[in-house]
Amino acid sequence: MTTAESDRAAEYAAAGLDGQNRTALGRLLGTGRIGYVEEDADGTMRAEIRIPEDELRYDPAILILPHGGDLVLTLYNDDKNTHCAVLPSNGDPKFIWLVNHAKGTASISLDGPGTYWYGSTSGNDEGRGLVGAIVIGGEVPDHAKLDRPPQPRP
Amino acid sequence: MTDYVDAGEAIPFAQLSNVKGSAPATTNVDYERIKAAASEPENWLTYYGTYDGQRYSTLDQINKDNVRRLSPAWVFQAGAVGMQSGASTYSFEASPIVVEGVMYVSGPDGRVWAIDAKTGEELWRYKHASPYDVSLCCGNVNRGVAVGHGKVYMYTLNAHLIALDATTGQVVWDTVNGDVRAGESGSVAPLIVKDMVICGSAGGEFGVRGHLDAFDAHTGERRWRCYTVPKPGEPGSETWPDDGEAWQRGGANCWVTPTYDPELELLYQGTGNPAPDFDGAVRPGDNLYTDCTIAVDVNTGEIRWHYQFTPHDLWDYDSTMENLLFDAPDGRKLLAHADKNGYFFVLDRTNGELVRVFPFVDRITWGEITPDGKVTPKIYPDEEGVPVHFWPGPAGGKEWTHMSYNPQTGLIYIPVQEVGATATRRRREFKESIPYWGAGVAVDIEDYYGFVSAVDPLTGEEKWRWRNEYPMCASTLTTAGGLVFQGTPTGEFVALDAQTGEKLWSFQCGSGHHSSPTPFSVDGRQYIAVPTGWGGWIEGFLPGLLGAAAGDALFCFALPED
Repeated sequence: MTTAESDRAAEYAAAGLDGQNRTALGRLLGTGRIGYVEEDADGTMRAEIRIPEDELRYDPAILILPHGGDLVLTLYNDDKNTHCAVLPSNGDPKFIWLVNHAKGTASISLDGPGTYWYGSTSGNDEGRGLVGAIVIGGEVPDHAKLDRPPQPRP
Repeated sequence: MTDYVDAGEAIPFAQLSNVKGSAPATTNVDYERIKAAASEPENWLTYYGTYDGQRYSTLDQINKDNVRRLSPAWVFQAGAVGMQSGASTYSFEASPIVVEGVMYVSGPDGRVWAIDAKTGEELWRYKHASPYDVSLCCGNVNRGVAVGHGKVYMYTLNAHLIALDATTGQVVWDTVNGDVRAGESGSVAPLIVKDMVICGSAGGEFGVRGHLDAFDAHTGERRWRCYTVPKPGEPGSETWPDDGEAWQRGGANCWVTPTYDPELELLYQGTGNPAPDFDGAVRPGDNLYTDCTIAVDVNTGEIRWHYQFTPHDLWDYDSTMENLLFDAPDGRKLLAHADKNGYFFVLDRTNGELVRVFPFVDRITWGEITPDGKVTPKIYPDEEGVPVHFWPGPAGGKEWTHMSYNPQTGLIYIPVQEVGATATRRRREFKESIPYWGAGVAVDIEDYYGFVSAVDPLTGEEKWRWRNEYPMCASTLTTAGGLVFQGTPTGEFVALDAQTGEKLWSFQCGSGHHSSPTPFSVDGRQYIAVPTGWGGWIEGFLPGLLGAAAGDALFCFALPED
């Protein structure tokens, strides 16, 4: 997995938005790092997600996929408190309970393109920052596109 | 090196619930059975109950003599976990399907349930993961499922037509049918005809090209696609600019379920507004087949005839709402349509000939339609930056929510909205997935009301009306018990006398109604099920209640067993 940083991270830090109990009570959603999945030869995508100690966030906070399909996540709770993850997946969301210093996996299936959010549905973990994004790029299949010339996009 | 506790593999969320995981197998629902759906009133086999869209039940255990005793038998709460698209606009808009005591119903955010129709017990659930950022003009909603061939069919918010096993809720097939990057989405309840599933597109507010599609019910393979805006050179293309790109973004989406005549083998599909909604100068012409009823050959997808209710629409007057089929006493095959533009049309459904047109609302200022069908626009946003007020507003005198027809009274019961709006033309460039209205629009937050109108479609006479402080934003249902059921925006579910309009009963459900009630019976006991939950495009049809309580509960009513 590779990651990307930006000047924006420094802005969030300077504003006190990227941690717990600084400017705000919790961490502003969507302020963490961006990560990218790795893809197996069969198209299965993989990534690691961690919950750092006392930060109440998933790392990376934003995971980018090149296309829809099957995604296998390995989740680590490096925190000294218990959390969980409810992850979107076609059919039924997937749930994993993550006690202090736990490691588990989640296999999910998602359509692309589009953005999906997941979170730790315990107490107000979600409000404090434990919400992550899975962002899927790409296009729909040709057979699903409209019969018209290419159109301008924003 | 941290020694991690093994958290194992994530499990399906439903494992941590009391969901049974399976529903009893029912006898097969196929085309022949749906054609004869009126003969088994204990079930509600298809979106409107029957192909003709009458939303009439011959069940009469609940009637005007005993309806005062009607009470909740059970309540099903949908609820939500985590962040979902249109987080503040979700609404329970479906009409539940019932087969032999099993109810199949869809809700917001890609969810489908099989429920024990007698007890309310959740039998299985399916949730299609819906992108948070999908383009939705009018809320996180779905109007229902189709059930047949051992499957449950749903069109998802991200425009996938999916087939689920009716006993387990597991996916059988999943066909991508729309381009979410272009602003397409799905909200319609599919319709089973023969061995096909019929499904229309949504996204007219984003400048897509509308279409109606048919799929093999067993495999999901597309059989035909009928575009509702013609390409240059095709019939109807003369109603669009020759040298422009307007047709490519013309709208005319099919986001309400068609009705169907099995003898004529014609689907009657209402089509949506042209895009941009309010800026007609970029699309001179009548803009076929926007704001039409189109009669589509179910075998080929070809348009046999059309009737356009608002040529060159400048008020967002979709005509997607239902085309109710009924026969005149002399046997003439007719079609009734209450349009957003405030006029009620009766057409000959064999050829689209106008039989009768008359207003069904009190206030119409946008224009006038004469008894012979001549349309004269009067007030419209044609000057940049100049506000124009008109009635009915863009949600129309009646929106998508459905009227019903009672053969006992010969009356059609229309849920009417009396709400105006102000549009100010603001030209904008077209960009895929960005709203393409061509105006700023503010719907009135005062001076509104509503009523149920009981109309004789053979004469145009209004026999009675039941007036309400707020507009009617939910479907009516009528029964052989001499009743009309209507949900109100303020949460009351009301039973009216079908002959007089007298209010006989009501129950406060706690959140507004924007759905279609379903009648059925199990083991000889009649029920009326109604999904509730105030949401969807409230800013369009009743912004005066934008702050009202949201919700997503399904109530099921019956008479006390003792």
